[in-house]
Order: sequence, then C-alpha cells, then structure tokens
Amino acid sequence: MAPLKSLQQEYPLVDSVFQAFCASHGIFSVEDFLLYDVDVLISSAHKQSTSQRLNQGINQLLSIIDALHRPLLTGLDLLEDSKRNKHALSTGCQGIDALLEGGLRRGQLTELVGPSSSGKTQACLQFATTVAKKYMGSVIYLDTCNAFSAQRIAHFVGQSSDPVFNDQADHKPLQKVLDRIICYSVFSIFQMFDVLHQLEINLRSEMFKSDCQVRLLIVDSVSSLITPILGGSGPQGHALMISVGFLLKKLAHEHNVAVLVTNHMVGGDSGTCKPALGESWKTVPHVRILLSRDLESNTCTFSIIKHPSLASGRAASCTL
Amino acid sequence: MERWIDGDENANQMLARVFMARPFLLPPPLHGVPLRVGNVVELIGPSPSAKTHILSQTAISCILPERWNDVEYGGLDRLVVFIDLDCRFDIMRLSEMLNYRIMEVEGVVDGDHRKTLYNLCMSRFLYIHCYNSFEFLQTLKTLHYRLQKEEEAHGISSLVLMIDSIGAFHWVDRATAFLPPRDSSRKNLFSQTVSEAVVQEIKKVTQMHPMLVIATKSTIFMDRYSAASNVAKWNFIKDNQQAERVSRNVTRNDQAIQYREYMPSVWQAFVTHRILVRASEDYRVMSNHENCSFYTLEWLVPRLNSSERLVVKDAGIFVD
Repeated sequence: MAPLKSLQQEYPLVDSVFQAFCASHGIFSVEDFLLYDVDVLISSAHKQSTSQRLNQGINQLLSIIDALHRPLLTGLDLLEDSKRNKHALSTGCQGIDALLEGGLRRGQLTELVGPSSSGKTQACLQFATTVAKKYMGSVIYLDTCNAFSAQRIAHFVGQSSDPVFNDQADHKPLQKVLDRIICYSVFSIFQMFDVLHQLEINLRSEMFKSDCQVRLLIVDSVSSLITPILGGSGPQGHALMISVGFLLKKLAHEHNVAVLVTNHMVGGDSGTCKPALGESWKTVPHVRILLSRDLESNTCTFSIIKHPSLASGRAASCTL
Repeated sequence: MERWIDGDENANQMLARVFMARPFLLPPPLHGVPLRVGNVVELIGPSPSAKTHILSQTAISCILPERWNDVEYGGLDRLVVFIDLDCRFDIMRLSEMLNYRIMEVEGVVDGDHRKTLYNLCMSRFLYIHCYNSFEFLQTLKTLHYRLQKEEEAHGISSLVLMIDSIGAFHWVDRATAFLPPRDSSRKNLFSQTVSEAVVQEIKKVTQMHPMLVIATKSTIFMDRYSAASNVAKWNFIKDNQQAERVSRNVTRNDQAIQYREYMPSVWQAFVTHRILVRASEDYRVMSNHENCSFYTLEWLVPRLNSSERLVVKDAGIFVD
C-alpha cells in the first residue's frame, strides 16, 4: 500500500485538495485511511465547501481498497480450489501416507517435532526425494544446520522399487532428482526472509509455466533460526516468528506448495520434553507430527499432535 | 408532518425485525446460553482445542435450511461469513461434516437431492482470509458492500460473522508499536489503534447487517507466565498503563486453568460472552480405539456452573 501522493497520477480524484483534507485528519497513506473512521471523514467532508469532490475522493479510495483485496469466496469456490490444486503429496512411506490421508497436503504447513536424532532430517530428505522423483516437481530445501546430504538422497533414489525408473540408467535418474532439489544454506532468520521473498517473486512470475513447479518447501530446522531471536523483553522476536509463519502459509496457499518445517524439543517444566517455540507458534502449522525413534529396531514413529480432520494420538511407524 | 403520521413499517416488517432481535439458541456445543444478534462471543482455548471445529459445526447449522423439499434439516437457513486470520481453515473438513449432517437425515436416498442441497449450503458459506491487520481492516471496511451483494443474490441475510482467530496478528502489531512514530500526533500504541479500528468496523458492519459475532482466541501465553511472581519479568507489563493484560485464574474441578488476556481493553469491552475450551485430561485413554478426541467447554461470561465434555468425531462435535 502506498502514500496518497503516489496515487495522484493514476487516480486524478486523489488530488492535492483531497490530500490536504486527509492530511488535516492525520491521513497520509492508505494505511492511515484504513485505521480512520470513514463516517467521521465523510461527515467532516460535508462541512467543507468542496464536499462533493471530497466524497468522490473517499469513494475512490474505498474502491482502490476493494480492488486490492481478494474476493469473498463461497464454500464451493474453496472446495474447487482445494480439489484442483491442493492434493496430498505422497511421502514415499505407505504408513505415513495412510496416517496423513495421502501425505503432505499442498497449501498446508506441516511441522515435524522431535528430539535430537529422532529422524527429522532423514524424513525431510526422504520426502524431498519422493516428491522430486514421483511428481517431477522441484523441491526448495532451506538447510539451517548443514545437515543436507546429497549422498543420502542418492541412497534413497537407489532404494527405489520403481522398475521403470531403474531401467533408464542412461537417463541418469539420480542427476534428474538432484537437479530438482534446490538447497539453500540459511543461517539467520533475515536470510530466510530474503530467500522466501525471492522465492515468492520467482513463483509469481513463473506462475503460468508449469513444466517444473515447486511442490515442496522444506525448512530444516525452522526452530534453530527462531530460538535465538526469542526471549528478551520486547515482542520483536515473536513478531518475526509469526511473520515467518504467515509468509510460509502465504507461499503454501497462493502457490499450492506443501511446506514442511522441523522443530526440536526442549525440556519442559516438569522434566518432560515439549516442542520448542512455545505457545504462539502452535497457532502456525496446520498439521503437527511428533517423531520418536526406537533405537533398537531403528523405526520412527510418527504420531499426530494436531490435524484439521484427524484426532490426535494416531500413529504410524516407518523405517528410515 | 404526513410522513410522521405514516407508519415506519408494516406489521410484517415489524415482526421480522422483532424476530431478528429475539434471542435464539445455537445448536450444541454453544447451546448453554441464548444469544442474539449483536452479541460478541469469544471462544478461548489453547491450540489445539477444537475451536475451529466448533466454528465449522456452528456454520453448518446456520447454512442448512430448516426444511427442504419436505425434509426436516433443522438448520437456521442463513448465510455465514468466515474471516480466517490464522489462514489454517480446511474446507475439506467442513465439506465432510456437512455431508455427514445431510446423510444423517433419514428418508432421503436421492443422490441428486443431496447434491443440490449440499451445493446450496456450500454457497452460503462465505470465506475470506487475511495475512495481516491491514488486510483485516480492508476486509471489514468493504464487507458491507460485499455482503449486500451476496444477500441480494441469495435472498437471505447473514446470521454469524466468524473470526478465527482474533489474536493472530497480536505479536506483529505489538512490534509495530515500537517503531518510531512518523509524526507526533499519531497514537504510539499500534495494536491499540488497530483494535479500536477493528471494533469500530465490526460495530458498523453489524449495524448494517445484524449478525452474531463469534471470535476465537488462542491462549498464546503459557501457564507459568501467569504466575504472579513471573509477571514482573515481562518488561512490557511496566509500560502497560491500561491494565489491558490482566492475568486471570480460573479454578474449576481442582484444576487451575490460567490464561492471560492480551487483547487491548477495547476488544475486551466489546466481548459480551466468553467461553473457555481445553483438551480434556482423559482423552488419551479413550482415543485409542476410535478417531475421536475429548475437550471440555465452560462458559466464563455469563458464568455457568457446569462444564461440558465435547467429543470430536468424524461426523462432528457431540456433547457427552
């Protein structure tokens, strides 16, 4: 949104008289206008000699706001968008797909929570491989702790049971999969904002090219970027955390990307472990999954903490 | 003079107006207290505590017709506006619950009949999501015109305005308050200003379209911060002269549930009814065999002495 001055060229009704009138009410930008009571403004405009013109200006501003905004959708529109664009992406592990009703849903933010070495990164790498291989989509991988391993991905590709895939040895399937996984090393939240904003711009400009869509965005781990900025007395840390959350959800929703983030565990009050990032972060993800690993059998158990349509407590196991 | 003698409305219009203002009982789980249009209900609870679920269920009861093709559905036959500030709403879940509700009614086997009814109901559910406070204000400022259009198209008026959840931008707005003000006449507390504007706009919309407002609010502070000894650690309490974040202790069933108010006082004064939901302790024991979870709901304002146990199943929410 813009200062009123910059609107003058495009909308002649927002002229200097109108701007002076608005300035007398402390309105300099569209944001100020939003915070101001329109009725008060209109009744004040009536007292002026140029009331008609001022009223036109106010209506012009209202229609600018209206045009900026997305339309009111009905349940049918939503459902259609959901059915057309928000499929679930298979994770490559049958148990988890069954647990999550198909896998990671596009348009949603899924969070993996688990203690250290519970298999969070392994799960991320596995899911990335599956999506790159099966859906021919590209995967954006934000790596915050240097845990990304191309070897591990090569291993997952080699494990593939898909016969067609293995036959085409000369097409270098591994090369293709690796080409589709784009990894960024990110070490601070501001870097992450940079990458995400750039990604948003790229996605918007490439919206109509559908040859290799971004299907999955992974942040491993989001908590290691956010924990350092939390704490202290001000709300800035939390504000950044919530902003990142909204940015991720926006990317997910507008561009039909499945977002997967990981979060570590910290010691709670009563000696039990609980997810890091606290209460405020709980409102961010759509789906929250707790990971735990049995060291002897080397199986990972995924149990649902939160899901829009599934009860918490359900679980599935898988070997990574 | 003549106009003064003429009636303002005929009996039919008056009856419609009186019926509109009469309190009505919402279907369970919000059936504890009769509500009327113009009331503002706040649904408080940690995440997850089935808040969005309760909204969905209430929405379904509103959009379903009372009778349709000689079949009793017991709905309220009105429109619902859902403003999604958390950006986590899952339309598939609403659609699933609606289908269950339609199937529940016996005596109808006609698939076409069901499909038409389903489509009718879904088109009565109006949805919009916002990524920040300005978008929220934009939505509210232009909602009147949009609603008018929809109400004319459907021939029925809207009954409930749902906001999920009202505190979503709390942290971001709080941090904005700390930016240096561009000129001295502006109020410094941004979150305060935004809340004032939001309340103002909701009042205006509900004046034009008499509606019940139901807003959810997640408790974003952990219990330990409400303990009196720790509150002092939080610096912002010091610069908070309006005593807008009062800590509350609610004791019920030997279980201290604490939540701290964080919305500005202008919003708190706007709320007329308050409901607290939380996960029930014994849900883990029971939820193994079925896809269901348990929650408790209690009325804080007005105070009701009984709390209710809610069971969330595939088909929706039931009162135990």
